[in-house]
Amino acid sequence: MPPLLQIHALKTWFPITRGIFSRTVGHVRAVDGVSLDIAPGETVGLVGESGCGKTTLGRTVLGLEPRKSGEILLGGIPLWPTRHHETLPLRRRVQMIFQDPYSSLNPRMTIQEIVTEGLLEQRLIRPRERADAAARLLREVGMEPSVLHRYPHEFSGGQRQRISIARAIAVRPELVICDEAVSALDVSVRAQVLNLLIDLRASHNLAYLFISHDLGVIRHIADRVVVMYLGVVVETGPASEVLDSPAHPYSRALISAVPVPFGESRKRTILKGDVPSSSHPPPGCRFHTRCPLALPECAVRVPVLEPITPGSARHVACIRKNEISDKSHDAKALLQGVFQ
Amino acid sequence: MSTLLDIRNLGVTFDTDEGPLKAVDNVSFSIQQGEVVGLVGESGCGKSVTALGLLRLIPMPPGRFTSGEVFFEGRDLLRLPTDELRTIRGRRISVIFQEPMSALSPLHRVGAQLMETLQLHLPLDKRTAWNTSVDWLNRVGLPDPEAQMRAYPYQLSGGMLQRVMIAMALMLEPALIIADEPTTALDVTIQAQILDLLRTLKSQDASLLLITHDLGVVWELCDRIVVMYASRMVEEGPRRELFENPAHPYTRALLDSVLSLTGRADRLSTIEGQVPSPLAYPAGCRFAPRCPHAFARCHQEQPPLYSIADKRHSACFLSAPKKPDLLNPCPSEPLNP
Repeated sequence: MPPLLQIHALKTWFPITRGIFSRTVGHVRAVDGVSLDIAPGETVGLVGESGCGKTTLGRTVLGLEPRKSGEILLGGIPLWPTRHHETLPLRRRVQMIFQDPYSSLNPRMTIQEIVTEGLLEQRLIRPRERADAAARLLREVGMEPSVLHRYPHEFSGGQRQRISIARAIAVRPELVICDEAVSALDVSVRAQVLNLLIDLRASHNLAYLFISHDLGVIRHIADRVVVMYLGVVVETGPASEVLDSPAHPYSRALISAVPVPFGESRKRTILKGDVPSSSHPPPGCRFHTRCPLALPECAVRVPVLEPITPGSARHVACIRKNEISDKSHDAKALLQGVFQ
Repeated sequence: MSTLLDIRNLGVTFDTDEGPLKAVDNVSFSIQQGEVVGLVGESGCGKSVTALGLLRLIPMPPGRFTSGEVFFEGRDLLRLPTDELRTIRGRRISVIFQEPMSALSPLHRVGAQLMETLQLHLPLDKRTAWNTSVDWLNRVGLPDPEAQMRAYPYQLSGGMLQRVMIAMALMLEPALIIADEPTTALDVTIQAQILDLLRTLKSQDASLLLITHDLGVVWELCDRIVVMYASRMVEEGPRRELFENPAHPYTRALLDSVLSLTGRADRLSTIEGQVPSPLAYPAGCRFAPRCPHAFARCHQEQPPLYSIADKRHSACFLSAPKKPDLLNPCPSEPLNP
């Protein structure tokens, strides 16, 4: 199956300006050369810590941030051409669900206006069909159509997120970008919304780019996982494989750091220090300043994202990936001292 | 082990335009010396108000205490004169807040804020206060502490600021530290560093009241757990027993909603419905409208906190002792006789 979304060598840089003439003195390299495919109906989980560029990547795909270079293709068509009228049909195909259910709904619009605005804009319905369309959408997300004429402030966080989902699926998109869509919700409500997203994925054949820092959520919803660090992808592969046996030293540290109830304490790598600034990323491998396995060479050579073994679906950007993935005694000894 | 803090029937109400809002309703639990207690619940359940209330850090009005006593080292904090309370705050009980960025003054250097805390409570000269502060920044693992002392909070990252907050909280070697979501604003790799640091507290014989909604964090750090729902306590018990054999249906549901990193269920178990508004709590058990086991009585009366085992309590009629006294079938034994 040809990919639905193709991202190739994408860069999104933000200028840092100084002085009264707003002279550009540098760039925040939020996304710095990311390539990624999403198949129709596939869910790709994008994980990483704050500042790694995962939100910027999602927003760039949606055309909310200008890209510096690289390509984004949707079904082979370049996304976000310069002429404005060409963007309308593309907007129908990609939608977004934002993190904060409080600021992402216009407080002055009724629920009916919110969920049908896209349909009217795309001329998919006539104005008089609004109420019917809105009622149908609300039922799809598990809400009563009687709330159509209410305003967002009357709803709880979980209900608002259902409204956001109804708005996103209204125009029958093929790809929905979920940026921390359940992170602001309490655990009891989070499960309800995740189940809804899983149901809608099946009934609408949706592909999700699911951005989250919560690895438990990613494990539950994603088919494939992409781990980002400082604007670049360090590891990708099937969700179960990456989360159960991460290969890149950063993925390992990230996954081992998640506190999980039940069971005994696991082996844990505690990374030293903070994530470096993305305006001056370290040379060579960006993780080498914090990496417990770094060699002198890591500070010089930029690792390439390559299959861990030829033909494998797992890709890792680390020059020591062969040593790490090797099951032999030497590899174990190498990791022993580091992962306590 | 002796009891350090004893909260009895604490009640806090806020007077709002829409009427009185019961934020904390009849909460009772105690903390032993050297013990780490986790106060767990979803947002709005009253866990932060409980913790801030016992230090009288709630603006009054609109807040007011409706009931209760908080005994700390033999004195009732709720009735202590303010100047005496000030000698306890910071010195004997310190707080680590969720947002280190807003808890520190943006206008003063980190060092000045650390030294002020020291000099306020101890008769130290500037030189000694400086050295002690540097020493503590070193102990919490902040790189280059001398330079951080001269920095302003905005120059430090969230993880570094939280270390400063922790150093500030530990510096005076208090008997009790209240940590209100100390790692919620941080990334997981930084959270792991901070949890590692908080774990070292255990060896220093300080008690910790950890407020969090993250059950993974609770599992890693706490000895005992208090679960709150809709302003009330629903369950209390030692960590392992409570996690492995939860008594209250809410605790069970909360534990079921934890997402595993290693396996994947087809459907997540959910708690139907939503938390009731604190302005309109149901008359009976507050969890009854969402509870799969609710029966008629649950909707009419509030269940008391039954003692179900050694150090374990559950506020559910299903946890009531098996042989009820026919004359007085419900309240078995009050929590604090």
